[in-house]
Amino acid sequence: MGGLAGTLVLTTILRASTELRLTRMDLPFLLGTALTPSRPAAKALGYLAHFGFGVLFALGYYLLFVSLDRSGPVLGAVLGVAHGLFAGTALVNVLLPVVHPRMGSGFSSSKTVTMLEAPGFMMLNYGRATPLVSLVAHVAYGAIVGTFVEFGAR
Amino acid sequence: MGNPSYAPIRDHAAIGDGRTVALVALDGTIDWLCLPDLDSAGVFGSLLDARSGGAFALAPEVPFEAGRHYLSATNVVVTEFATSTGTVRVTDAMTLPDGGLSPARELCRRIEVVSGHVPMRWEVRPAFGFGQDRTAFGTRSGVPVATAGNLALAVNAWGAGEPRVSGSAIEGRFLARTDATIALSVAHQEPLVLPTRADVEGRLASTIEFWRGWAASSLYAGPWRDAVQRSALALKLLVFSPSGAVAAAPTTSLPESLGGERNWDYRFCWVRDSAFTLSAFLHLGYADEADAFFWWLMHASQLTHPHLEVLYRLDGGIGAPERALPLSGYEGSRPVRVGNSAVRQLQLDIYGDLLQAAWMYAAAGRRIDPEIARRLEEIADLVCDLWTEPDSGIWEVRSEPRHFTQSKMMCWVALDRAIRLAEDGHVNGTVDRWRSERTAIGSFIESRCWSEDERAYVRSAGSEELDAAVLLGALFGYREPDDPSMIGTIEAIGRELGHGPFIDRYSGGDGLAGSEGAFLACSFWFVEALARAGRTARASALMSELVSHANDVGLYAEEIDPVNGAFLGNFPQALTHLALISAAVALGDEGSAGDGGPR
Repeated sequence: MGGLAGTLVLTTILRASTELRLTRMDLPFLLGTALTPSRPAAKALGYLAHFGFGVLFALGYYLLFVSLDRSGPVLGAVLGVAHGLFAGTALVNVLLPVVHPRMGSGFSSSKTVTMLEAPGFMMLNYGRATPLVSLVAHVAYGAIVGTFVEFGAR
Repeated sequence: MGNPSYAPIRDHAAIGDGRTVALVALDGTIDWLCLPDLDSAGVFGSLLDARSGGAFALAPEVPFEAGRHYLSATNVVVTEFATSTGTVRVTDAMTLPDGGLSPARELCRRIEVVSGHVPMRWEVRPAFGFGQDRTAFGTRSGVPVATAGNLALAVNAWGAGEPRVSGSAIEGRFLARTDATIALSVAHQEPLVLPTRADVEGRLASTIEFWRGWAASSLYAGPWRDAVQRSALALKLLVFSPSGAVAAAPTTSLPESLGGERNWDYRFCWVRDSAFTLSAFLHLGYADEADAFFWWLMHASQLTHPHLEVLYRLDGGIGAPERALPLSGYEGSRPVRVGNSAVRQLQLDIYGDLLQAAWMYAAAGRRIDPEIARRLEEIADLVCDLWTEPDSGIWEVRSEPRHFTQSKMMCWVALDRAIRLAEDGHVNGTVDRWRSERTAIGSFIESRCWSEDERAYVRSAGSEELDAAVLLGALFGYREPDDPSMIGTIEAIGRELGHGPFIDRYSGGDGLAGSEGAFLACSFWFVEALARAGRTARASALMSELVSHANDVGLYAEEIDPVNGAFLGNFPQALTHLALISAAVALGDEGSAGDGGPR
């Protein structure tokens, strides 16, 4: 539940930021276009995948909380910072372009036709405010997951 | 070596790998290469500063005559150097990754002995950061390497003499009796890959194969097949593969007038070019590139929506702060600029280009998804609000904004295409408002932008100047090309802006000192307008003449000096090649039911 709630808030923050022209990042769309070249289908599939990953990451948070024998929104927020930094520097910046069949990367050449531009370091290609937006969203996600785990443990 | 003179712009051929482009002069010198990307700082930039700009020279040590060509249907250049003792053939390419471990960027120069023997000399003189970065030289596994910041450049030579570091260059000499290869391996993140000779030559072979396969997939089969194929290959060189953006040109600050201040950075993607770009890809059968470009355009413009920037960076970012570099400039043409402050201008025509591109995308059978549809509707609404404003126009004049006729025509086109998209069920929105504003724009153009004296649409409301961009009103369907008002405009432009087959951009001022050459894209637009007006014999004759004015490898710059044929402006220029393709398609369409141009 914490994972779903956290992902819901994270998605809402990202979507609102897109509408406010703060970032061009659309994580569900990025995930969905890895599965299909159809833009509408990519949106639908992407949201499913996004929430699936949200629950998986929440499981990871839970295991960390168990191993640390403590939880709560503050620790969750700290993990969210680490999660957001990892996403911006390695996960979405380096790993996603390598496995995404339609995304450009540092390895792209004239042989490849790129449907989605690479996010770049801290996803800065998607707008200067993207690192901040991503970090805020991940902190909120972590805090919510931490809160759910803390309440669940009582 | 270190010849402080400048090769004519016309003397260059372009090679590239989808990430950056190098220019090879006829004398064997690579005098332009930005690394790691097309819009990065120059490493070989002697085109903009012959003394300190950096270059990779490779040529016989004895007097020679050079001739060259692209290997058929490729972006691989072959230069033959004939000397009194023998002849060598140099094949230049930016190789493409082949699935194995390859350097981040690789420039290959293969030397084959055709006859006899030839004393050869080469010199790699890097000037990282346009010569502003400190360079360190060393060797790794016996291979000389130059480094600056996070860039490393290794010079691998096989059969091309013993490389040695001399001052700020790595150089070698050899007597070419057997084949040799020199490869520059570039890393922008360590480790640097040091390839084997077999790896490099294997990649060269697979690169040639790739380009031939790509060129062979073109659907164009008209009378200007060679020119269209070369233009398509040049365009593909300008596609920045990490994003799908298309750069206007790979160079900055090649002057529009020698010694003048009209020197601009074109290493960005202009929305202005979007309709022609999509049209070219679709009509030549490069559907993937067309889709990729449209996706990129809609993604890049998201941050500023519904407003459009005039240009976007190749990574999709906005903002291109303009500054001058401390370089002497091509033939003394200063300032040498990087960045482009035109990004801040209001240019109304680009809304027409974007909606035209969207309409072509939909007409080609692509689905406009609800989010894109909503954005297109909002852009059309914005055009309704903005069209009454004066702007800087398609030519980005740096004088006071005006009510440019072509800007108004493209606003009309924007709303017309939005209405067509709505009629075809792709978008919804305030269609009645779009219709009434389209009518209002038409009334403005007819009442304020038409000259009875000239019997033509003029450059701007109330002026008597002419502007070749108004031809786009015919090409994009503001008026049918054979409408008397357009016929009059075409004739007036030919009469007053023409120099033989060449057409100037406009008459009157633009806020800058000096003059410029004839604008090649306008010359091809003129051909297309004539063709679409049914004057095909004249159009064909002009087309043949223009095609004959390409350089020896079929490339064009932005402008040409109509007197001596010298190229001016950035090179090779996407818009010129796009206009050539569009004109060729239009001539091919004439008499058929299709409407193959950008309309």
